[in-house]
Amino acid sequence: MTFQKVANLISEHKDIKVEEIKQDTTFESLGFDSLDVVELIMVFEQEFGISITLNEGLKTVGDVVKLIDGNN
Amino acid sequence: MLHTRVTEILGIKYPVIQGGMAWIADANLASAVSNAGGLGLIASMSAGPDWVRKEIRKAKELTDKPFGVNIMLMSPHAADVAQAVIEEDVKIVTTGAGSPSPYMKAWLKNGIKVMPVVASATLARLMQNIGATCVICEGSEAGGHIGDLTTMALVPQASEQVSIPVIAAGGIGDGRGVAAAFMLGAEGVQMGTRFVVAKECNVHQAYKDKIINAKDTDTVATGKRLGHPVRCLKSPFSRQYVQMENDINCTSEQIEKLGTGALRLAAQEGNEEKGCFMAGQISGLIKKEQTAQEIIEEVFFEAEQALLQAQKWIKR
Repeated sequence: MTFQKVANLISEHKDIKVEEIKQDTTFESLGFDSLDVVELIMVFEQEFGISITLNEGLKTVGDVVKLIDGNN
Repeated sequence: MLHTRVTEILGIKYPVIQGGMAWIADANLASAVSNAGGLGLIASMSAGPDWVRKEIRKAKELTDKPFGVNIMLMSPHAADVAQAVIEEDVKIVTTGAGSPSPYMKAWLKNGIKVMPVVASATLARLMQNIGATCVICEGSEAGGHIGDLTTMALVPQASEQVSIPVIAAGGIGDGRGVAAAFMLGAEGVQMGTRFVVAKECNVHQAYKDKIINAKDTDTVATGKRLGHPVRCLKSPFSRQYVQMENDINCTSEQIEKLGTGALRLAAQEGNEEKGCFMAGQISGLIKKEQTAQEIIEEVFFEAEQALLQAQKWIKR
């Protein structure tokens, strides 16, 4: 559920096919630079109503999903 | 006089902010810029809260004008520094390298004005959503950590997306740059490189000399391969860095290691071989050391002239 929403947000904001986004997909493999990641983190924060600090070691889509589920 | 929402909100005379440059922007430079009518900034960089508190207290002794602290959000001490600025009663904060949202509530509750540095219009809008006072839109002409968009492209697009004041940064070094930024929708500017050569700036003389002697093509963006580009002056360091980036046998860790501490070597020791001299593309325009007061007065005299004369192009 959270994963699907996260995948949709990434797909929508960074123009990537949603099928290409899996739990273990790394942001690096999607070609994101640090600014893309910050932008996405802020999108997630505002969509899910949480705060994410950058030193939480977010490398994969699954890391983000875990963090969001942990917050709710 | 240029009077904008930025001068009004920040309580400053000229709509100019000094960049929060790591290893360069200390209490000395910040207070000199604030005393001259701009907004000086202390860069917290990766320093711990004790150093930041010391600089804040020092700046308060040196000026009774508003000044701010730039908080680097990737710093391992970001949370402690975020708390320290509240306790030290700092009224203005700029943020870089991340999302300030974990600290927004506490800052706003304590009456702190928050101005995030952003590199895209989307980020500008997201910052407005979480309560930012202004956004500093920094184009890739700037020195230090940069995004993709140029100031020319970023500022008008961000201005369309937010109603809070936009402060333009990157590539602005004189009054023409200020006037152009205003035409793009900005109500203030941030200058970094121009203030590095301020007489009150404690950076190593070799750093200032390199900027003063630079020409337009003397900067390069390094670190693209690692996903966080940095603009600096071309030097033995930058050449080696770019070479390693292009060498597929070099690991990201090796490249990262080369960059570690390189800015400090440049700023404090003037180390021409191993130092990373971060500076913007406008370096070529900067020709002499001046006091912060002289810089600001000159820039805003030029800006007013440029804006007043802009009508000459209109045929009636």
